[in-house]
Amino acid sequence: MDLTDKEYVEHCRDGHPEDFGRLVERYQKPLFSWLTGRVGDGGQAEEAAQESFVRAFRSLKKLRKPESFYSWLLGIAGRVAKEQFRSAARQQRDREVAETMMADATDSGEEYPLEEAIAALPESQRQVILLRYYERLSCQEVATRLGVPLGTVTKTLSRAYALLRQELAVREGVEPTVNQTQSL
Amino acid sequence: MNCAECRDNLVACAEGLLDREAMLECRAHLKACAGCRAEYQAIASLQQRLAARGQAAAEVSMVAPVMQRIRQEQFKPERETIMSKILKHRWGFGLSAAASAAAIVLIAFLGLPKTQATAAEVMVRGAEVMAKLTSIHLRGQLRTYPQDNFGSINAGSPFCTIELWKQFEPELKWRIEKPQRIAVMDGASTVMLIKTDDTGVKFPHPSRSAFDTDWLQRIANISNTISNELSNAQAKGWKLDTTKETAADGRLKDIVTIMAKSGVPDNDYGRNNFIGTADTRRVYRFDAGSGLLEAVEIYLVRPAGEVKIFDLSQIDYNQPIDPATWKLELPADVSWAQLEPPKLPDNEKYASMTAEQAARAFFEACSREDWTEVGKFMSPVTADLKKYLGGLEIISLGDSFTSQAYVGRYVPYEIKLKNGDVKKYNLAIRKDNPAGRWQVDGGI
Repeated sequence: MDLTDKEYVEHCRDGHPEDFGRLVERYQKPLFSWLTGRVGDGGQAEEAAQESFVRAFRSLKKLRKPESFYSWLLGIAGRVAKEQFRSAARQQRDREVAETMMADATDSGEEYPLEEAIAALPESQRQVILLRYYERLSCQEVATRLGVPLGTVTKTLSRAYALLRQELAVREGVEPTVNQTQSL
Repeated sequence: MNCAECRDNLVACAEGLLDREAMLECRAHLKACAGCRAEYQAIASLQQRLAARGQAAAEVSMVAPVMQRIRQEQFKPERETIMSKILKHRWGFGLSAAASAAAIVLIAFLGLPKTQATAAEVMVRGAEVMAKLTSIHLRGQLRTYPQDNFGSINAGSPFCTIELWKQFEPELKWRIEKPQRIAVMDGASTVMLIKTDDTGVKFPHPSRSAFDTDWLQRIANISNTISNELSNAQAKGWKLDTTKETAADGRLKDIVTIMAKSGVPDNDYGRNNFIGTADTRRVYRFDAGSGLLEAVEIYLVRPAGEVKIFDLSQIDYNQPIDPATWKLELPADVSWAQLEPPKLPDNEKYASMTAEQAARAFFEACSREDWTEVGKFMSPVTADLKKYLGGLEIISLGDSFTSQAYVGRYVPYEIKLKNGDVKKYNLAIRKDNPAGRWQVDGGI
């Protein structure tokens, strides 16, 4: 049975580090997706994602709100992505080039705020969104996996969509009207 | 159905979960009510965006390498960990990252039924043997239309040849060829030629894969493939099985079968149209002596029964590849596709169109043979396209719909061509470009 982020974090702290694998499994795809938007390259994004998970594990004891694991992980990943660019700059002996690369990647209109918006969802809603879209399960499969009726899944999705649209409108600086949402 | 009832049912409607009667009622209400329609479109748009993000990350699998690093850090003082014992005793040191990752995933299989653990062992051995490839040449057969995308499959089509050459060292280069399409990455740029109408597409940079060739590129990176298959099998509960077989020459073969689930819903239009959107049974055949992968078969699994869609029986490892392989001969009159449509002076007029409006505008422009206007919806506008679609008559256009397998939308259409033939199909159309204009992407 799937546990909450908080429970997995507490298990890890209580001497069961293997449970960290469940958190990696849960967040590897949205984290990769978010990092691809930041660094613009799948290979670098995967490398940065792995590094972020390892650093998160090392710092797990410092995490004050275990229920906010995913938001905290995104913060770590943002720092790892920046370090990657600085390292590229050192290798190229040209800081300006690297800074331009970073600016290009972060200003390229990539949709990385989507994963940030997902991080802001209540955990039950976030779990359903991740299973439905990042694990690509059908609604029925999500219901079976979580042991809840199908109607609960569609209602949770409905609430999650509403919150995501609000959150995206704030982060992307647009009103959540139909045409603008379509052109995202 | 009133507005409140409609809104309660919007997600179920967008997910295709309503029964026929409720679906019809919901659709009828959406047709009549602009407010609910706007709400529905906003939800569908968000769903499409989420599905595209999930699709792009579908193959990501990093539990094994992350946990490997964590374990290594935790057990640094100990010279002999469970992991190091397994690696040392079974396969020796010096494995590639992918082979090591596969070995780590194997640990998870050791607690499972014996057949699954044995299957995983065979795969890991294959990963280790093939971890140091310098080049590979694959020649196989795929059920697909010769002119269609490299990743498209069609269970009803005859087999056509598909071939990949890949050089890993000293510099990554690759070429993929099927009867009507060739793609070449020569280390500097990535080019595809569609032979049916001499259309060219060029990315001015090297790439690991492009033009929907990822699935075959993954098979070529066999060591990684095996690691990914094991990780997916473990994470998603895919069933692994293994058997032994004696070949005609007396050599023993290990056969590993994986039942892979795509996760794409049954009612999704894109289901079974691509390797990645189909439920498949994948059969890997290894030589038991050398551990080398010798053949791969992929079967499409449908309620109606299985159909073999991919058969790879020729794999050459580390053979020299003729340098001419990396040169693509282009016809003199090749029509280059625009990579991204430019912003037009009246861009907003096009950017504000719905998918249905864009499809109608495209077909109407074809109908009056206004090729400048057609060019605003697709690139390039080739002589063959003009001949095929010029003077058409629109019979009907339906409501657009989405698929998890596609970032854009599909618009159902029925047209009568100038030669009298009637064509009924779905136009693939997308607007994920900086100009925000709908571009016809396929389905013609």
